[in-house]
Amino acid sequence: MVEVHELVKVFPTTEGEEKRAVDGLSFTVAPGEIYGLLGPNGAGKTTSLRMISGLLSPTSGYVRLNGFDVIARREQAKRCLGYLTASTGLYQRLTPREILRYFGELMDMSRDEVDRRIVELIDWLDMREFADLRCGGLSTGQRQRTNIARALMGDPPILIMDEPTLGLDVLTNRIVLDFIRAEAARGKAVIMSTHYLDEAETLCHRFGLIHEGRLVGEGGLAALQEKAGRRRLSEIFLKLCGHDEHVLRQPPGAEGTPSQGRGAA
Amino acid sequence: MSRYRRVWVVYRKELVETLRDKRTLAAMVLVPIVLYPVLMIIIVQALRAETGRRQAERYSVCVPDEVHRDWLRGVLRREDAEYESGVRAEKPGPARSPADMSPSEMLRARLRADQVEITVLDPDSSLWDAVRDQRFHVGLIVEPPPNPKRPADRRNRSVQILYSETSPRSEYVFGQLNNILAHEADRIVRARVSRMPDGVATLTPFLTNHLSTSSSEQQFAKILAMVVPFLLVIMTVTGALYPSIDLTAGERERGTLETLAVSPVPVGQIVAGKFGVIVTIAMFSTALNLGSMTAMFHFSRLGELAASFRPVPAGEPAATQAAPDSATQDAGVGLTQRDYLRERMRLEQEAGQKAGFITKAAPIVLLAMLPFAVLAGGVMLATCSFARTFKEAQNYMMPVMMAFMIPAMVVSYMPTTRLEGVLLVIPVANIVILIRELFLGNYQPAAMGICLLSTCFYAAVAVTVAARLYGNESVLFADVGSYKTLFARRYIRPQEAPSPAAALSVVALLFPFYFYWQSYLINFAASPERIRLIVAMGQIFVLALPCLVFAWYLKLNVRETFALRWPAALPALAVLLIAAGIVPVGNLLRAVQFQWFPPGPDMLGEEAGKLIEGSLASVLLALAIAPGICEELVFRGFLLSGLRRRVSAVASVVIVGLIFGLFHLYMEKIPVHSVLGAILALVCLRCGSIIPAMVVHIANNAIPLLATRYEALGSFFALPASADELVTPRLDARGLAFIGVFLVGLVMLCLTRKRRA
Repeated sequence: MVEVHELVKVFPTTEGEEKRAVDGLSFTVAPGEIYGLLGPNGAGKTTSLRMISGLLSPTSGYVRLNGFDVIARREQAKRCLGYLTASTGLYQRLTPREILRYFGELMDMSRDEVDRRIVELIDWLDMREFADLRCGGLSTGQRQRTNIARALMGDPPILIMDEPTLGLDVLTNRIVLDFIRAEAARGKAVIMSTHYLDEAETLCHRFGLIHEGRLVGEGGLAALQEKAGRRRLSEIFLKLCGHDEHVLRQPPGAEGTPSQGRGAA
Repeated sequence: MSRYRRVWVVYRKELVETLRDKRTLAAMVLVPIVLYPVLMIIIVQALRAETGRRQAERYSVCVPDEVHRDWLRGVLRREDAEYESGVRAEKPGPARSPADMSPSEMLRARLRADQVEITVLDPDSSLWDAVRDQRFHVGLIVEPPPNPKRPADRRNRSVQILYSETSPRSEYVFGQLNNILAHEADRIVRARVSRMPDGVATLTPFLTNHLSTSSSEQQFAKILAMVVPFLLVIMTVTGALYPSIDLTAGERERGTLETLAVSPVPVGQIVAGKFGVIVTIAMFSTALNLGSMTAMFHFSRLGELAASFRPVPAGEPAATQAAPDSATQDAGVGLTQRDYLRERMRLEQEAGQKAGFITKAAPIVLLAMLPFAVLAGGVMLATCSFARTFKEAQNYMMPVMMAFMIPAMVVSYMPTTRLEGVLLVIPVANIVILIRELFLGNYQPAAMGICLLSTCFYAAVAVTVAARLYGNESVLFADVGSYKTLFARRYIRPQEAPSPAAALSVVALLFPFYFYWQSYLINFAASPERIRLIVAMGQIFVLALPCLVFAWYLKLNVRETFALRWPAALPALAVLLIAAGIVPVGNLLRAVQFQWFPPGPDMLGEEAGKLIEGSLASVLLALAIAPGICEELVFRGFLLSGLRRRVSAVASVVIVGLIFGLFHLYMEKIPVHSVLGAILALVCLRCGSIIPAMVVHIANNAIPLLATRYEALGSFFALPASADELVTPRLDARGLAFIGVFLVGLVMLCLTRKRRA
């Protein structure tokens, strides 16, 4: 169970102005639910996910993971959490098996538990052929599978995924999506952000559309269809972000482009 | 699971990963093992090549006529004959080939007659032009012209040698000819004098005979002491370099830091594990370097080469043979020259035990390097924590390396500097001197203790800062603001008290400055008034004011940070009892301590005596009230409130006590002042106010000062009247009563309900 309440993040910048990256974000995700956090680049998705994972501390508002405040009870909250992004790296000079063991031990798992869980994950994610090779030589798909296994090592009840399918081939993409579905079916609360709206449409139970740090629409597909008066998620997305009609008529990079942030969402 | 197990998990993983990195392995293992022997081979080969060339090469000398030529040939031949007969040579015998020579012999190559080609110039041409145009190495002219048939005639002549300073060969021939001519002059003098009735004995009224009492082992150690400490510092820093970059900026660049940060492990434990790996690698690399370096010195005879640069050669017993026998006879005062000579011979015979010395010194040196490796690792970890990429970290490392090397280098060039005064607490420099002293066999436990303790203190601060920076979000993510915003006051959020990292850093910064101030005072101040003024100024401007400025800059709540509030009535009463008993308790502690450690130079108050002459008001102001207020603001205010945010009350009291003790420079003062510092911290914590701590501190300083003016006060507080009494613990009824009062106060203080800050 994830509770996000009135989350605000203000960054100081060297130019002297302050930047409100996230501005009053609130939502909850129940066990077994897949929540899609969607938005254009720079909308504040990554910042929100980092605050939910306790990597950034919010300027105001709070996040509770299974009832634990991520700042005040950091350790307990992080124990409930599996975190995965497309940019997550692996230790180049360790093997997937060693990485899994390392994170298992960091989560205070016993030696037997670690061994059992490693066998399970390697089996399930079909990692046998590369489990004992150094990560430096793995393909993108193999790396992402290792990363998934790493996030699932402690069997956490909450999964947070920041664009988990970015840059993956069809096969690995399928593995990742299947794994998300399977984990939700096992009663886990999943929050994911993605740019692939078709993917999100088939996968997520509920959506939060985020634009300039605020939620502009929230709910199931039907509710959003009703609110925007459009059928497809991509159309709903454009409509609610205020780029409905003229988005094709504007040359790229003109006034209507919402991306103003320093980093990628 | 215990935090230690998690630190161990991080440590083990990082060590495995680091050891699998070829770059680190190369820098750590290959360089020391391969570099030194290669360096040695290159140096020896270069020396051999140079000597061989000099011995094979022919040199040209031009002279104005045949008379000169014949005379010069004669001179060169006589020189050769003298060397071959062994009068002049250190090791008699014909010239040896460079391959058989030791490095020191190679440097002393000699010009032989067959190497010199003497040319007679046309009568009209100029020697000057011939040498300037580099047609000849050297030109030589004697006036009046020499007499080759009777070189030792009674005429005195002047010899002019023309050479070119910019041509190395010309310079070499010039230098050699100069020596040869000096020897010729010596021969002429001897020949002339031998015709006189008194003979050659006139020429030698006495012979000096040098006998160094140092064994060759000690001489070897002295050479090592010049080079090795500096090299060790560099090697330790280099050893720490790669792992610190790789484990911080490297991790960030590869994108693995995020996953680590999201795991349920506190940043402090992650940093501790990584830090352990850096220190391990640095120490391993230091040990390998030390081993390889000493092995090279031992096996290569390079030590001998270095020894040949000594200004005065060690005793050459052969020289005594010229001394009249009567000189070594018993003059009725015990030992004779012969005994000393025998002593020296014994030392010479014991030569070749260099390896023994190295195995003895190496473990101690390594042990002394440990706090330094901790410091280097901490500073590098803290600096690299800023960097987001490997490249950025490398850029930051340049100034850090310089900061380590410059003090080490400067001290290396000051061989007579000793481990004392402000140098004890100057990071890096103190370790270099410490290791030098270890090599020379000077063990000063007190000075070494301070040196190691202060290095550990700096290291602790560096690690705390590293932990603070490592978890900071603007350092964690490149796209979240800039790390520049970490320090700009605009972006600092107001806080109740400083963070432990900030508190420790500020105190560490004040540390050397305060010492510098103190040594300034000892060196330059003369009148007691002036010394007192400097003491008070130091307290205010070097201790208290910087803390207040930092408190303002960090937007701290001044009232909370410095615990500026009135204490409740009951604790205040307890504190008055403590203040009454503090001086007798302090004296008892001191006397007990003296049972184990003898008092240091300034402990019995002989020098301090001068300080307390003059007006009582100024004495009290400078030596009791100013320290009582300023030191409390720093230690029981800024430092204690900072530590209390993360550290338990007991640990805070102990740490504050230790740091307070360390600030008192003399090793002998540390134990008692640490206990007093801890008592003051306890008083401040229990009362929730700094004012009682100030009262106790002022009482502790003021009562002995007042007792020097009013004897009645001294006997009332049972103060020792003489140095002897200060050293032996003595408990009379009055002393016991005061200690009882103190203990009652302490118990009362601990029992009263703590006021919530």
